[in-house]
Amino acid sequence: MTQVRKLAYGEKSEPAYDVRLAMQEAARCLLCIDAPCSQDCPVGTNPSKFIRSIRFRNFKGAAKTIRENNILGASCGKICPQERLCEKGCSRCGIDKPIQIGRLQSFAMEQEKIFGMKVLEKAPSCGKKVACIGAGPSSLGAAAELAKRGVAVTIFDENKEPGGLLRYGITPSRLDDATIDQDIAAIKELGVTFEQNHKVSREEVAELAKKFDAVYVGVGLSTSKVLKFVKGWDKQGVDTALNFLKNARVKNGQIGDLGKVVIIGGGDVAMDCASTAKQLGAKSVNVVFIETMEEMPASKKELDYITELGVPVLPFFKPLEIKGESKVEAISFASMDDESQVTFKADTVIFAVGQAPTEGFADLKQDGNIFLGGDMVVSRGRTVVESVQSGKEAAFAIADFLKI
Amino acid sequence: MKKVDLSIDFLGVHCENPFFLSSSPVCHNYEMISKAFDAGWGGVFYKTVGVFIADECSPRFDTHRKEGTPFIGFKNMEQISEYSWQENAEIIKKLKKDYPTKVMGVSIMGSNEEEWALLAREMTKAGADILELNFSCPQMTSHAMGSDVGQNTELVEKYTRIVCENTHVPVIAKMTPNITHIEVPSIAAKKGGAAAVSAINTIKSICGIDVENMCGRPVVNGVSSISGYSGAAVKPIALRFIAQLKQHPELQGFPVSGIGGVETWQDAVEFLLLGAENIQVTTAVMQYGYRIVEDLKEGLAFFMEEHGYTSLRDFIGKAVPNIIPCENLDRSFQIVPKIDYDKCVGCGRCYTSCFDGSHQAIDWDADKHRPTITDRCVGCHLCLNVCPVKDCITPGEIKFKKGKEAHEVKIQHDFDYLP
Ligand SMILES: Cc1cc2nc3c(=O)[nH]c(=O)nc-3n(C[C@H](O)[C@H](O)[C@H](O)COP(=O)(O)O)c2cc1C
Ligand code: SF4
Ligand code: SF4
Ligand code: SF4
Repeated sequence: MTQVRKLAYGEKSEPAYDVRLAMQEAARCLLCIDAPCSQDCPVGTNPSKFIRSIRFRNFKGAAKTIRENNILGASCGKICPQERLCEKGCSRCGIDKPIQIGRLQSFAMEQEKIFGMKVLEKAPSCGKKVACIGAGPSSLGAAAELAKRGVAVTIFDENKEPGGLLRYGITPSRLDDATIDQDIAAIKELGVTFEQNHKVSREEVAELAKKFDAVYVGVGLSTSKVLKFVKGWDKQGVDTALNFLKNARVKNGQIGDLGKVVIIGGGDVAMDCASTAKQLGAKSVNVVFIETMEEMPASKKELDYITELGVPVLPFFKPLEIKGESKVEAISFASMDDESQVTFKADTVIFAVGQAPTEGFADLKQDGNIFLGGDMVVSRGRTVVESVQSGKEAAFAIADFLKI
Repeated sequence: MKKVDLSIDFLGVHCENPFFLSSSPVCHNYEMISKAFDAGWGGVFYKTVGVFIADECSPRFDTHRKEGTPFIGFKNMEQISEYSWQENAEIIKKLKKDYPTKVMGVSIMGSNEEEWALLAREMTKAGADILELNFSCPQMTSHAMGSDVGQNTELVEKYTRIVCENTHVPVIAKMTPNITHIEVPSIAAKKGGAAAVSAINTIKSICGIDVENMCGRPVVNGVSSISGYSGAAVKPIALRFIAQLKQHPELQGFPVSGIGGVETWQDAVEFLLLGAENIQVTTAVMQYGYRIVEDLKEGLAFFMEEHGYTSLRDFIGKAVPNIIPCENLDRSFQIVPKIDYDKCVGCGRCYTSCFDGSHQAIDWDADKHRPTITDRCVGCHLCLNVCPVKDCITPGEIKFKKGKEAHEVKIQHDFDYLP
């Protein structure tokens, strides 16, 4: 590739549509009936409806449709893997290429911001209160859905700012703070209160269950896995994906010299680590994973993005050993068919091989007035939008339980 | 959003919103109109009922296209209803019964006094809330009907009077744009007793030629006809006729129903600002379906909320005084455009158009690929209109001509009103 894209840490990865470009894209939409895009959104955002509203210049109406259906509508517009959700079955593929639904969604949500729209309003109280543990996508989804029914919801979250994985897991070039804050503001409009910097321990769950009419646990999978069969996994310079991403975000990219970086894993999180490392000025970045290109779990959009940034990927290789004295110096891999071996010089090795439940919560079960949701219980592909839906569904169950 | 009241009393008839289907195939039977009412349309002007029963050709439509997939103009060779007036009366009766809050306008067309009288009586009996007189279909197979009648003031007045004598409901005369002064037959309709006029019906057109068949489109077995043009492309012409109607001294306070190229709520607001009290739509519905009313209504409601309007009458007609004769325009200044070089992509469209189409007032830096506006600029704003980048060229400094005193000048908003 002759042209590698340079992008500073946090710099927007995709320019926003202005109204002309949005209209041009919306005019490409075929305005289908029984639209595949609307059927394929896990949380029912209803793209065919909001795109039609854009097409007929009802921009505020577009924002309203999104916000009413998807409480994280602004964030989802930017980070959903649209190509395997709403855009996948887009009828326009039969002519040329799918409608850029995510970008139109972002355009619509921008109108919400510009006009200071308040789509959702606080509902009259139903007299019940629910605690939601965690301020990630599923908890936010559950909280919003309950608040719409008049429940007094308090969110308890360990981090400084709400958002969970949205804020601390996804690289800011793809999802900036302002967008997350916009979604959080809508949730606050519903009357949800946030107790940040409050880490709820396993024991405290039971206490909350007494104080509140119900508890929703949506703490997600906040610990990154480490492959302990890889020799040298505990050397200095080995990091886990979520830790790396969070650290970068909290310190606004000021995390020191990364040197040569090797990332193990082929999912979206690995891709975010790769772009982040690249943007933070790593000397080199390599991504290695055990799957073939066909089986690689990352979305095409994400892979294209790191390719654009000049990050090479090596499929079908498994890690063998991390070498070096106390610090990482190199890492060796073998091909999955054991035909060849390769060693990369490395200063930083990042494991991005999946997440495990938050400490102490692994064996938590749905019980009495305690409900679970989000990544802890769904393994449907673990996208933000699916987590929101899982939270929504848990909220329906809680509403049934509370008879509201 | 607070609930915004979109209702309006039009000719004494309460309409839940101003959006009506205009007389055409979009409202020619029970099934269609009930679906449209369910979708949210406030009323209809039922497909023109006649004693004459239309025998239609095939194909009967053609389109005017620009780049991109949707068409912008539409030509049709349809006439009036394919059903007998008796069948239509039954349908109208049933609709009125099942949708008592919706407004049933019924379009009628006779070819002589007896037919007009009969249709007026029968459609009123069937339950019409309003009668619309079709003086304007440009492709009737008889010169005793349609736009040929609409251009004849005597016939317009006579037929309007006969209808008014045979009904108690308000009567609207639907006018043809195939005339220079739409006011003239409109005044005749008013004299005949009409409560309002509606405009425009379709414009006589040839959308294009099939060059191999050497024949206009649509090709009906090797030949074609001049016939009515509608859709987004005719909106500018429709707006002009509405303004002419609203400004004529003899038509002051005479209500108008606006038709022609309405697709979006923004189009509708433009008609309302020019004084239309009711909005009719056909082509956009043929192209996109009844569902467009959702965004028409919601978009209009957002607009009203934003501007603090509580009723349509708060802004209906507000643009009428601001359309003035060319000779009265303030010609004392030039608004020099300014270029935002951060936005400029260096395409040179402004330079090309200014040189080839205006006053050679843009210098082109071929190395940097950047335009500079010079003092040859006359402020025509051709560059601003051709520039592909949003908000790249915008109105800039206001220069007053020699000997003219400086004063405040209102600046045009961008078409999109948005970043
Ligand atoms: C296919 C077609 C059939 C029409 N038939 C009638 C009709 O029967 N009576 C009538 O008054 N106008 C008729 N019209 C004119 C429309 O009611 C309307 O005045 C015109 O199309 C302009 O509005 P639009 O741009 O929204 O289509 C017809 C228009 C079309 C496109
Ligand atoms: S499937 Fe594609 S073309 Fe059809 S409505 Fe959805 S975005 Fe538009
Ligand atoms: S639109 Fe319907 S009626 Fe017309 S030609 Fe096609 S199938 Fe036939
Ligand atoms: S038309 Fe606009 S973008 Fe193109 S050169 Fe001129 S100012 Fe720049």
